[in-house]
Amino acid sequence: MKNTMQVKIPAGKIALTVAAFVALAGTPAFADETSCSPYTPLIKGQEDLVYVWTLGVKGVGDGSDKLVTVDVNPKSKTYGKVIHKLSLGGRGEVHHAGLSDDRRYLWGGALDSNKIYIFDIGTNPAKPKLTRTITDFVQKTGFVGPHSFYAMPGRMLITPLSNNKDHGGETGIVVYNNKGDYVSHEQMPKTNGGDGYGYDVGINPQKNVFLTSSFTGWNNYMMDLGKMVKDPEAMKHFGNTSVMWDMKTMKPLKVFQTPGAPLEVRWSWKSGDNWAVSTTALTSKIWVYKQDAKGEWQAKDVATIGDPAKIPLPVDISITADGRGMWINTFMDGTARYWDMSDPMKPKEIFTKKIGSQVNMVSQSYDGKRVYFTSSLLGNWDKKGKDDEQFLKAYNWDGKDLKLAFEIDFFKEKLGRAHHMKFQARDLSTLKPLDMASNLPAMLAQTQ
Amino acid sequence: MGLLATVRLARLLTGGGLFFLGWMFASTIAAAPIMDFVPPAAGSYKLQRIQPATDGAILDADGKRRRLSEFTQGRVTLLAFMYSSCADPNGCPYALTVMHMLKNELEKLPETRHRVRFVSLSFDPVRDTPQVLALYGGVHNGTGQHLAWDFLTTRSRRELLPILDGFGQDVGVDMDKTSGKPVGTYSHVLKVFLIDRQRMVREIYTTDYLLAPMVLNDIKTLLMEDGVRLK
Repeated sequence: MKNTMQVKIPAGKIALTVAAFVALAGTPAFADETSCSPYTPLIKGQEDLVYVWTLGVKGVGDGSDKLVTVDVNPKSKTYGKVIHKLSLGGRGEVHHAGLSDDRRYLWGGALDSNKIYIFDIGTNPAKPKLTRTITDFVQKTGFVGPHSFYAMPGRMLITPLSNNKDHGGETGIVVYNNKGDYVSHEQMPKTNGGDGYGYDVGINPQKNVFLTSSFTGWNNYMMDLGKMVKDPEAMKHFGNTSVMWDMKTMKPLKVFQTPGAPLEVRWSWKSGDNWAVSTTALTSKIWVYKQDAKGEWQAKDVATIGDPAKIPLPVDISITADGRGMWINTFMDGTARYWDMSDPMKPKEIFTKKIGSQVNMVSQSYDGKRVYFTSSLLGNWDKKGKDDEQFLKAYNWDGKDLKLAFEIDFFKEKLGRAHHMKFQARDLSTLKPLDMASNLPAMLAQTQ
Repeated sequence: MGLLATVRLARLLTGGGLFFLGWMFASTIAAAPIMDFVPPAAGSYKLQRIQPATDGAILDADGKRRRLSEFTQGRVTLLAFMYSSCADPNGCPYALTVMHMLKNELEKLPETRHRVRFVSLSFDPVRDTPQVLALYGGVHNGTGQHLAWDFLTTRSRRELLPILDGFGQDVGVDMDKTSGKPVGTYSHVLKVFLIDRQRMVREIYTTDYLLAPMVLNDIKTLLMEDGVRLK
């Protein structure tokens, strides 16, 4: 066990951490922990902070996008309170954020301004500091709408949603190094069944693969939702594919037909598992991607979420540390749904709870006992009037029921629209790497 | 890890000699990343040009003040930050084991002779003096062999930190919680850097990604990029 507290002196000085020896041996177990990259050290105990990537709203506070820091440690005097907010001085449709490979930096993207913000969350995790704003994303790649930020060793894999030629859904994947300099980009495949669309990414290092999903372009995600759904032409422009890639070569291995905008990608990290999961926004399906007996990747529609005729709009998902359960949020009815994934090919919905008039993101702690929800989907897709609730809600989950621990009204606090969440520890020396089951004999065999 | 695998690894690490040293390394590796795939063939892919390799002042094994760039150009270089007293089984000892495995494999390939260099650069300028690292590196230390392996340190933290910052290598000095004094260990994400002959970082490996067969193919890929014909 690591008996620690941490003192860190920032870059340019040496970091001081207080730690004893690390005992890393243990049962192989992997966590969602807000969908971290497998290359990012994890918080396996109590998370101290939740960063909420928040969209500015005209007339609400300073009206700017901001990174909001919330104290979520029940032992803290400021538990359940906003302890810091960092305003960006404008609005750009901020959306998702991702942690670096050492969890000392948080990258956040804006879907309209195409800016990427890099925050230092290592020097003083309770007071993030903006260290760099990347403004050359469109110029370097031709893509628009930097969405997912997923750590690879020494660099950040970014999946944009659109392009600057027609602002449609054709896009690609992009790599920047950890300093924030452009490295490379690839187009999403348009052959072998590919439609060129993109959205999220998830890496499985044990298989040397990553899986991407698909959504829609700037023309749609910046359009008013009510207007868009009544526009048949606009509704034709959603992604219908998922792609398995070779991680080392960054080349597509196989395109899957997964109609209706497959969104978030999660891998089960349970030792021995070889499957990923996604859900489709428009068709309300759960898709599982699994290797068959011959080792070929296959995608299968395994279940239906709610009543597809009512378009519940499945949005964020969060898989448990052992891959045996998964939260699915449906935006339109504001409901969180817990699915038993013990048999991923036959999942079952076993619990539902209405969180609010709308709900988008869900993040659970490593042990699954704490579950956090936020409300905003996109600035122009959120509900109108009194249904436009904006919140962060924290619940305790005992396996049977969600019990509210605290909530923050993001409009009342003059913050804006609460979107993506990422956890952080105040003491980074408590972070733990993914435990790995030994496969050294196989590795040795391959070097012979 | 099973007994047979441990024995096999111990033999691999030492080429049959110094078996007990190999046994120590093999036993240290209680866990290694799962590698449930066959790596792409060397030369069948391009490695990204991630970032320039940072330069800085270092001390070589003889205690001479040199530039790090002297050790990161002209050959395909695998550079690992480490410290000799590291006890984290997924940290420096794991990297050292993988590097030994790679060394043994590269020495079987005549075409790689004098074309590959390993560099181990210490986090700990206080305890990892050139003399200590010379002992630590042992017979592997030096440039005259098939594969050059240089064990380097720095004169001070002041000279080390710009190098770490440049490479993007985090590190924390572990302190005793009660006394507030350093306990002699460092917290860091294990990072190993593959650098081409022109001092460009072409791959970065962390623990989950530091897989000997894949690194071997990456090294071969860079050599093939330079026109080296590998059988």
